[in-house]
Amino acid sequence: MSFGTEPDAGIDAPARHVIDGLKKLICHEIPAARDIVLERLSRSAGGLSRENWSLDASWTDAGGRHEHRLMLMRDAAGTLLKTERSREYDVLKALEGSGVAAPAVFWMDADGRFLGAPSLVMARMPGNCDYMVLNGDRPLPERLELAHAFLELLVGIQAVDWRARGLGERLGVPGVSPGKTELGQWEAEYRRVQLEPHPELDYVLGWLGRTAPQADTVVLVHGDFKPGNALVEHNRITAKLDWETAHLGDPLEDLGWITNPVRKREHQIPGHWERPQIIAAYRELTGRSVCEADLTWWNVFSCWKLAVVQLTAVNEFVAGRYNRVFQTPTWLFRPMLQMMEGAG
Amino acid sequence: MRPTVEEQLQGTCRILETIIAPCVADPFARTILDNLVANLRMVTAALPQVAGFQRYDNQATLHQLLALRDALPPELDARIDQAVAAGEPDVDDAAAQDDRNQLLRALLAQALSSASLSPDMRHAVEGYMIDRASRMPMRYVPTVAPVTTSTARP
Repeated sequence: MSFGTEPDAGIDAPARHVIDGLKKLICHEIPAARDIVLERLSRSAGGLSRENWSLDASWTDAGGRHEHRLMLMRDAAGTLLKTERSREYDVLKALEGSGVAAPAVFWMDADGRFLGAPSLVMARMPGNCDYMVLNGDRPLPERLELAHAFLELLVGIQAVDWRARGLGERLGVPGVSPGKTELGQWEAEYRRVQLEPHPELDYVLGWLGRTAPQADTVVLVHGDFKPGNALVEHNRITAKLDWETAHLGDPLEDLGWITNPVRKREHQIPGHWERPQIIAAYRELTGRSVCEADLTWWNVFSCWKLAVVQLTAVNEFVAGRYNRVFQTPTWLFRPMLQMMEGAG
Repeated sequence: MRPTVEEQLQGTCRILETIIAPCVADPFARTILDNLVANLRMVTAALPQVAGFQRYDNQATLHQLLALRDALPPELDARIDQAVAAGEPDVDDAAAQDDRNQLLRALLAQALSSASLSPDMRHAVEGYMIDRASRMPMRYVPTVAPVTTSTARP
């Protein structure tokens, strides 16, 4: 199905809205563009915070005919994460040529004037997105190889020279305790979305505030590092996606996310790729020491942040803006309290 | 009363799954529908337990507040006294039970934020939190995240 200049009766209203909006965006970004053709538009089932639309685009300008496979990510009416598209756009632009597997970004509709909601258009990369790829049907050696590849990708992100790429000005540089900076931002989100008292989360918040570690250095942090935010083709990670919560912070933050016990089915392989193996491999790849107590703080923070994300979904659902039902994340309370007790 | 509330909710799930879902071709809409049906089944099972949980939680939260009061500032202690004096609402008044739950949990949140708790107090309150979480009748029901591809077409 192709969408040139004539209306096509065979597509539904949301798809027509995307087509019309994207054409306007292309014309805005490339005033000389003509003969714009948008083909094979489809919306994927994934994406909790955004609508993901894939399509093929072509147009002609002074440089000749251009053809691109594109992915449009548009904020959903209700979303799990209140973030700015400009943050993701800036990070993806800064990562171009860095060696980090990330899609090239084409255009941004920052305020939704063309597409109705803030949106990004980026190159569509090959591969599949599978949350459980590390514990799926692949043979163990393949899964272990992928697990190593994910860690190498994490380390590669941390190795990005964020100063040279201008990310300090765009993202802001945290102080000596990036944990306190992150905690402050997520506490503000917690207060914004909470609909009722949560003594458990306030109690954990108090502990996090009293025990926040300092960082040895500041690196680029993805902020939601997981197989579900990556594309894998055969045994190769072709792209890390969803950079909307990327920021500058503690090297242990993303490591704390993937060693978080409540997410181990996504990040770990029982008996082969668990917390000790991940830490050992990280130390070998980076030469950095890893303080177990500090990493546990980031594990607890990861759970607490996840709880806030789910409360955001509850808030949005109750307000009639989000179409999936979440509950207060009581399942996170026990692991957080147990980790706190273990940390002393 | 037949059909009971539970029977009506279960029947609704059955109809959504067997009649409606097969007709939903759009993968995004199907994912939403699957989540809704899974949640409706959870609510169906949880509904009979909600009132009992609320009564347990009001009593247990008040018990925690009374155990902490030696470590609390006078102003908060006075508000706990007021909550005790107000007494338990009618067990059949769900809205009043919920209002009391909000009040008591707000007091507990404030107590845990402001008090210098002893290790024994911390141990007790953490035990209560874990016990409460294990009794919570309504829980998020994860549905299987689909494998999505950047190149697949419906």
